[in-house]
Amino acid sequence: MPGPMIGRRTALAASLALPFIRPAFAQQAEPYVMGSLFPMSGPNAEFGEAFTRGAQVAIAHINADNMLRRPVRLQSEDSQALPQPSVIGMNKLINIDRASWVLSSWTATAKAIAPIGDRAKTIMVNGGGVGPDLSGLSPYFWNVIALAHLEVRAIVPFLVNQRNVKRVALIYVDDPLGDAILGQLREQLPLHGATLVGSYSVPRAAQQFGSVVARVRQSRPDAIYIASFGAQQAQIVKGLRDNGVTQIICSFSGFGLDGIRTLPEAEGALFTTQKLDFASSDPITKRFADDFQARFGQAPVTYHANYYNAAYLFGLLARQVEQAGGEVNGETMRAAMLATRKFNLVGGEGEFDELGNMLTQLQVNEIRGQRVIAVG
Amino acid sequence: MLFLQLLLNGLQTGAIYALTAAGFALIFGATKIFHVAHGIAFTIAGYVFLFAWRADWPSWLGVLASIAAAMLFGIVMERLVYRPIQRHEGSFFTVFVAAFGVSIVVQNIIGMIAGRGFATVDTPLSFSAEILPEIFVAPMLWIALATAAVLFVALTLFLTRHPAGVALRALAQNPDLIRTYGLSSNGLSVLAFAIGSALAAPAAIVTAMTTGLNEAIGHHVMLISIAATIVGGIGSLRGAALAGMMLGIAESLALTVVDTQWAEAVSFLVLFGFIIFRPAGIFGVTQTR
Repeated sequence: MPGPMIGRRTALAASLALPFIRPAFAQQAEPYVMGSLFPMSGPNAEFGEAFTRGAQVAIAHINADNMLRRPVRLQSEDSQALPQPSVIGMNKLINIDRASWVLSSWTATAKAIAPIGDRAKTIMVNGGGVGPDLSGLSPYFWNVIALAHLEVRAIVPFLVNQRNVKRVALIYVDDPLGDAILGQLREQLPLHGATLVGSYSVPRAAQQFGSVVARVRQSRPDAIYIASFGAQQAQIVKGLRDNGVTQIICSFSGFGLDGIRTLPEAEGALFTTQKLDFASSDPITKRFADDFQARFGQAPVTYHANYYNAAYLFGLLARQVEQAGGEVNGETMRAAMLATRKFNLVGGEGEFDELGNMLTQLQVNEIRGQRVIAVG
Repeated sequence: MLFLQLLLNGLQTGAIYALTAAGFALIFGATKIFHVAHGIAFTIAGYVFLFAWRADWPSWLGVLASIAAAMLFGIVMERLVYRPIQRHEGSFFTVFVAAFGVSIVVQNIIGMIAGRGFATVDTPLSFSAEILPEIFVAPMLWIALATAAVLFVALTLFLTRHPAGVALRALAQNPDLIRTYGLSSNGLSVLAFAIGSALAAPAAIVTAMTTGLNEAIGHHVMLISIAATIVGGIGSLRGAALAGMMLGIAESLALTVVDTQWAEAVSFLVLFGFIIFRPAGIFGVTQTR
């Protein structure tokens, strides 16, 4: 007796439907894609490497703890710290990789990608750019780093009261970050009885600073604030010291990288960061610090923690959405963030305001013997 | 006093620009290859010296290793990239894109090996002392100027007195004639790449000691070299060297009248000025149609 026959039409229909059926089954195990737009090449690649390391540890923790029903995968795009490659990378992350969470950095690039993320309702989390206008850039753009206006407000009273600084000169890169810090110093210094005696903008690609330093020296400052990033900020520090400037050098959280910490000319430099104690007994902080050290053979710095938090927050919010039976996307995660506001992250409890800015305390650090010491 | 300080700073920057521009001009003049990867020879030379310094090699050995590495890169580019392209009658654009691609690949390899951050050779030679009120000068200024002067004299003697140097100049003017005399244009082309790339090494070493290195430093060097070659007159070695020095000084002295942000733009304003008013450059020959 013949068994059930499968007709040719049925077989053809089944084979045509196969490509559509397989992804539907596979979707259960398909990872969530978390995008990153960091400078992975060029003079600012040191930042990209640091940012990525922080995110990698967070994703390893999310996956190891089975926090979510699907694993998380990091998809990196090279922003080169420039707006145009960032826009291309952001479009790819959203339209091809279907990322609903993108880690962003750099003020100028963040401003370039924000409208794209906003349209696609993709969450963008910044842990590196500090331009004040990154606050409220989009309902889907959040910051886990203190922005420049807060950093300047923290260091100015310290310089005036603790280091007796009355005259400050600024060397700043010609971009939104530099302009923002110039504006803040102009506003804050007079409030504390100090003066901005000179402001010297430099192009992003500038590498020779001997002549700029000659101009800075003429303004006779007590302290020089550097608002640049990447290799350029190290070049400026070296240029200042090599050319006879012995006054205090200070900066924002951009100084929190090994390239500056290990630079002999940066000895005594002051810079602000979020208040973070990596030796704390807080379990999340301790786990992060230990695992980071074990994985990369170096002690973590603030940037590593920022991007750990930026990536780990995805795990916390996506878990909340999954548990509520919702679909994990930008809208649902934003709703979860606004409903919860407080999260256990590296450094302790992190609280977000309605604009998506994490509220943090700041500290002033000093580089001493290639170590970063909190001094205020 | 500010003028004198800026002039001294400009001389040091100009010496670096002059050396790299002369190397680029030598290669371009002799082979007509737009060697856009010349900046990478500069980067490689700088990092080789840095590693030799960190490994506590004697300075002279580090300098030799740096020169050798730059020369090797130039020769490899000529033999493995440019010559195969030219064998298939590759256009100027093909050569340009190939060189640009190699630059990006090598830059990333350097970043992977040497790290993505800023690196510098820590030496007291770069520390300035106040020699006059408000005038700070580092020993590196005199070293850079002396090195540039000695190398240009040596190169001029080589190109005018040595048979291989004369043949190189002949190659620049008439490659067919070279073959008629039984000389190998391929061999001379390799020689042009070796010498031109070697000239980048002293500039890279001075840069490693003064402003420091990063994997992407070659781009800027390349831009200035191109500008200097055009301003000096395409194919003119002394023109490129003089223009490199002039651009360095102009960039620095500009700060007496313009904001610091515009210093580097001055180089390109000079370039535009030459393109418009003297397209043949300082020592170039004007061609009429």
